[in-house]
Amino acid sequence: MVEALLQALISGLAVGGAYALVALGFSITFTTTKTLNFSHGEFVSAGAFIGVSALFLVLGKPFDSTTFGDAVPGAGGQLLALLSALGVMGALGWLLYVLGVRPFAGRPGMAWVMSTLGFGVILQSIGLAIWGPKPVVVPGPVGDAVIRFGNVGVRPQELLMLGVAVLIMFGFDRVMNRTMVGKAMRAVAANGNVASLMGINTNAVMIGAFVISSALAGLSGFMLAPIAQASLFMGLTVGLKGFSGAMIGGLSNPRGCVIGGFLLGVLESMVNLWQAQWREVAVFALVILVLAFRPTGLFGKKMTEKV
Amino acid sequence: MKRLAFKFLAAAAASTIVAACAYAQEIKLGYNGDLSASPSAQSGQAAVLGMEAAIADVNAAGGVLGRKLTLITRDDVSQPPKSIQNMSDLVDNEKVVAVFGPTNSGNAMAWKHIANQKKIPVLGNVGSGTDITKPMSPGADNYMFRVSMVDRQQVAALMAYVKKNAATSKVIGLMAETTGYGQGGLKDMEEIAALQGIKPAAVERFGVGDTDMTSQLSKMKSAGVDTVVVWAQGTPIAQLIRSMEKINYFPLTLTSWAADNITFYDAAGKTLAEKPIFMRTVSETKTPAQQKLFDRIGAKLKAPGSFSFALHGYDSILILTQAIKQANSTDGAAVRAALEDLKAPVPGLLKTYDQPFSKTNHEALTAKDLVWIRWKDGRLLPYTDALIGSLASADFKQ
Repeated sequence: MVEALLQALISGLAVGGAYALVALGFSITFTTTKTLNFSHGEFVSAGAFIGVSALFLVLGKPFDSTTFGDAVPGAGGQLLALLSALGVMGALGWLLYVLGVRPFAGRPGMAWVMSTLGFGVILQSIGLAIWGPKPVVVPGPVGDAVIRFGNVGVRPQELLMLGVAVLIMFGFDRVMNRTMVGKAMRAVAANGNVASLMGINTNAVMIGAFVISSALAGLSGFMLAPIAQASLFMGLTVGLKGFSGAMIGGLSNPRGCVIGGFLLGVLESMVNLWQAQWREVAVFALVILVLAFRPTGLFGKKMTEKV
Repeated sequence: MKRLAFKFLAAAAASTIVAACAYAQEIKLGYNGDLSASPSAQSGQAAVLGMEAAIADVNAAGGVLGRKLTLITRDDVSQPPKSIQNMSDLVDNEKVVAVFGPTNSGNAMAWKHIANQKKIPVLGNVGSGTDITKPMSPGADNYMFRVSMVDRQQVAALMAYVKKNAATSKVIGLMAETTGYGQGGLKDMEEIAALQGIKPAAVERFGVGDTDMTSQLSKMKSAGVDTVVVWAQGTPIAQLIRSMEKINYFPLTLTSWAADNITFYDAAGKTLAEKPIFMRTVSETKTPAQQKLFDRIGAKLKAPGSFSFALHGYDSILILTQAIKQANSTDGAAVRAALEDLKAPVPGLLKTYDQPFSKTNHEALTAKDLVWIRWKDGRLLPYTDALIGSLASADFKQ
């Protein structure tokens, strides 16, 4: 029984790593622009396919191949694929901000919700036209042999994802609280007009937030592809669960978001240990409960409306 | 000048009439299924290749009732509304004599009432859903036939194996994904387990996109399950086997035929792909006649594993041809009656069909026609053990 619990814990943390990375992506744009990229999930899928295409190109195959066969790309190829996923998705984030968010941000109404959703639909349709619906099995950068602690097993890629999520959380936390850039981002979030009067280039900060958030989606996709297989639909669940994780932890607190993501992963795994068919019910019941009693999440700052 | 124009018109009219006559002489058959959109499109494309080969052979031998066969294909992009629209188009506009397909069982369920109302025989050669060939109401005339895998027949065979394997299969677990496909299969598994007197010690479900099923497997392990029967699509079965590796727990694993999909093999990897045993209508070791068809169309197949659907497609055309001959008509009701009472055996590529259908049985392939399969070195090879050889008709309960 202890073994089963430990296995559920580590499996949950592994799945939670993906949720945590996505949750962080939501948090970054929210803390600076008070908007969200509602197609973050589609960005995750797109990032996975950019990475996969780069790997195919490194191996000298057409970028829209559907299988790696026995070919395993080297470390250099993996690094190049990671960089292209980050770069292309970052650029897409910039495009999304310029076309879909800036014209509407700060205005009354919810136009940016629709425009970010629409951006995702467009992205997915283009992806389907290029790569088709078939999932691609992707070789991971750290191999696939199960790592065992006693009778508890986990795959290296899952540990890597977990580690990366924690690392990025601490890095982001440090940047936000200890550097001028972080201070500028927080200032823009608190009050864009005043920040602008203080000489902060608010436009650049907001673009930066969308670029980083989308690059993070690219990273999530790249890391997730060897675990879940690259598919244009893979981002849908992860996006929704990541968002739920962010709501549980608190959208305004990056540390809370990551913890929320991990919490959700472990909760799912524990519910599976009980009655798997009730998993989704349990997850969203928790989200509703948290929102009812702590509307800003477990770790979010209390929102005080000044009148 | 005027005269010339008149002559030209007359010639054009004459050629149209000749063309129309040739047109009327052809017997039109329709195919309605996914040819482009989902992973099942590969199966649909293979079925069409097999049907086209059979039609070429029938036509080369003089056709049926002195008329040539021709195939009209309609892609339903796996969407039920499009599939319904195709059905009306094929029946009302194209006036086809019979329809083949579809690839997705749900689409067959969406339009089987059309086939029954319009009295157009349908020979399914891809979709495996158990309910497709059931009549609309008990005893009603039923126009839905099938030359393909059937979910319930697979379950019947898997459960017969489990029952007979009592020496090593002492504690049984059932697992299924939470989609319509998985839950339909789970219902079949639970019903047939009850018929066989098997009491599952654990029943577990998992999501179709899950990447880790260790929790469910831990429960199986602690319940002492030594044999697990799984109903899911290719990719989740692969994730399940990968999760088994994580906790180093490998019970005897019997699965739905989705494990024959190349996506399963890719995702599980060579070693783990060789764990489950499942069923298909054909293995990769071919009879000479099957090899001949493979030589003709193999190069056009998107995945070699989809060849089984080409065989279903080929045989379904032969069976229909025989029924039209016997009915001496292409009238739907007459063809249905002939299909339900075929006097002469039909030598197909999978087997010789001796009275394949009756009033109550609309499945040409049943549990005893299926072959046991296990992946070996990237090929779908027949699997056999002493127990499989001893399975008799009486063991298959459904």
